[in-house]
Amino acid sequence: MTPSALLRPLPPGEGRGEGDTARPSPNPLPKGEGFLGRRRTRQSALIACFLLPSLAIFVLYRILPLFWNVVLSFQSWSPTRPAHFVGWDNYQDLWSYDDVFWQALTNTAIWIAAAPIAIILALAIALLVNSDLRGAAVYRTIVFLSYPLMTVAVGIIWRWMYDERGGLINWALRSAHLIDKPLGFLGSFDLALPSVLLTDIWQVIGFYMIVLLTGLQSIPPHLYEAARVDGVPAWARFLRITLPLLRPSLFLCAVIGLLNSFTSFDLVYIMTNGGPGHATELLITYIYKLGFGQTRFDAAAAVTVVQFLLLLVLTFLANRAAGGNAGAIEH
Amino acid sequence: MLGRRDVLGGGLAAATTALATPAIAQSTKTLSFLTWNIIDQEQLIRNWITAFKRVNSGVEIEWMDKKGPELPPFYQTQLAAGTPPDIIDIQGELWAEYAANGALLDLTPHMDEVKGRFNQDYLSGWVMDGKNWALPFYIAKTLLFYNKTLFAKAGLANPPASFDELLAQAGKIATSENTGFLTLNFDWLYWPLFAMNGVDLLTPDLKKPAFNTPAAVEVVEKLARASDSGAVNKISWTGRWVEPNGAFASGTVGMLHAHSASYFFVKGQGAWVSPQTLGIAQAPGFYATPTNHGFAISKGSRNPELAWKFIEFITSDPQAGQLATNRQILTGNSNVDRALLARMQKEDPLVYSVLETQVEHTDKLVGTWPLPNDSRVKDAFWPELQNALLGRKPAKQVLADAERRVARELSRA
Repeated sequence: MTPSALLRPLPPGEGRGEGDTARPSPNPLPKGEGFLGRRRTRQSALIACFLLPSLAIFVLYRILPLFWNVVLSFQSWSPTRPAHFVGWDNYQDLWSYDDVFWQALTNTAIWIAAAPIAIILALAIALLVNSDLRGAAVYRTIVFLSYPLMTVAVGIIWRWMYDERGGLINWALRSAHLIDKPLGFLGSFDLALPSVLLTDIWQVIGFYMIVLLTGLQSIPPHLYEAARVDGVPAWARFLRITLPLLRPSLFLCAVIGLLNSFTSFDLVYIMTNGGPGHATELLITYIYKLGFGQTRFDAAAAVTVVQFLLLLVLTFLANRAAGGNAGAIEH
Repeated sequence: MLGRRDVLGGGLAAATTALATPAIAQSTKTLSFLTWNIIDQEQLIRNWITAFKRVNSGVEIEWMDKKGPELPPFYQTQLAAGTPPDIIDIQGELWAEYAANGALLDLTPHMDEVKGRFNQDYLSGWVMDGKNWALPFYIAKTLLFYNKTLFAKAGLANPPASFDELLAQAGKIATSENTGFLTLNFDWLYWPLFAMNGVDLLTPDLKKPAFNTPAAVEVVEKLARASDSGAVNKISWTGRWVEPNGAFASGTVGMLHAHSASYFFVKGQGAWVSPQTLGIAQAPGFYATPTNHGFAISKGSRNPELAWKFIEFITSDPQAGQLATNRQILTGNSNVDRALLARMQKEDPLVYSVLETQVEHTDKLVGTWPLPNDSRVKDAFWPELQNALLGRKPAKQVLADAERRVARELSRA
């Protein structure tokens, strides 16, 4: 029996053979009698048994640390000192004194805002490779190739490409006479964040493209044919048919982009380590630095709580924008 | 097929083994030993462990090595879990944070046994509040490497003797392809540039910032101007280890202010490096910042006496001598270092020149403040300084902002 079959309530008396847990007992107990006597209860117990290991891991590794993190954010603690309650001190510190926190928050917001750019680019590529373009399959593969690469490898390769002395990008720009002097992309306060963002977009665009391409290919062709017969221009077909029917795929890309903004630790760590200054610092890299660089686990916990709340609010808003039922299982 | 007797017999044997195991375990003392990025010396360290076990029966040593950025997080998580390694190899000033927070064992009671063994200036680098917290594993401090070919091209005969001369020479070397000067910047390694101008970071009691002075503003302004003109390579303020060393190794930078370990990196990558082309000198004013590795013992060690015995063993002449020979590095052990220098003078004069700088002027070590929150102070100061050096904010404003942030960190400590 499949898990989905277990979840589906069976009509009374509908058993499907020996061993089927949903088969009615030859001597059914009176309603409400015995722990495992009722079919629904037995089903629930079985489901609980299946879920229990995953739930235990989820509680142990997600819920408890989250709870402990919230508690820690109201304490003063380091691995070598016992914790003591300090109220809102850690949050007050962030709010009033910590310029780096605000810089990291701003950079994270910029990172989030860049996700739509990547999605628009991916949509454009998806539309191209979904057309009758010659060699579309090859282009599709090439664009997607960046996604399965390890982020650490991507970071190292792009760091070399951005290099001021022997980097490919500087060489190309100088060869094209677009610049006189090489640019220190990752060492510049103004260029570092856009440079790292560009790398991130390059890596993730292949994934967005595949998601959007799948969405495009699931749109029934007869809708376009009917629109064409009615003389609807291409831009209107895109706005009235493609975009509305792509909404689930676009929502998925937006959510992944949002999560990516909060978890892009590896790329920033490898390429700039948050520098120069804190020009590319994100909340996630700042949390790491506070905790493991400065042994301020309490302050790191406070930033984590802020990041968690921010993620919660943004996910809620994204869910509302998607109609309020994102993630629901449709039967 | 197994019979009942076989099963019973097997069960009995397993139970006996299980019962006997704790008895064996109880007779064994275990030490955990954490080193920092020295996996290239695996064979040597395993030999030390074998030799130590030979004279200390019933001892097991679990050795772990972590790469540069991995060690502090690893050690801290082990501390938080209450299972810190007995012995830890610590670089830079991190020891002061751990010691101030009660993570390390005070080694002072044992120091009489070994004190005479070490270079006293280096040994004092691990002293806080009159207590000694670590023994030297290997030592290094900053010096000035210079590219003789670029010096000759620029019409320069000798390395600089002052800060202003350093910038002037860097300016002469700089062309569209070359830059004049480059410094490493981690662990306060750039601090000699301030020290040679009479600027100190903190007041002598380490309670307040002391760097926001007209002299410091002038230094920062000069460095920023030189960085903008290309006299100072901007990698000085953005690179970590590979980038600055790699830039100097490429032969396009006039001077590199770095510690002795950089020599091996530069030599490995720079085909141009030879005694005729690479010059070795002290930085102006003979100021240098050390970046040493030392062995400390965790306060949570279950076998602190045994841990002491082990670090006493591996820092003694034979073992330190093996490390010095293998790595061509100074160990802080005076006998061993003297022997290495004598040998290098004959075998490799360039290495000798580099190592010689490491034992000279050790009374002028700067950039070492035993602060319980060194990394926080560093993080309050350095990003602000970067703003000025890379031309984003004026020096005056940067030093005022940095002063506010450093003062706050000091008050929190």
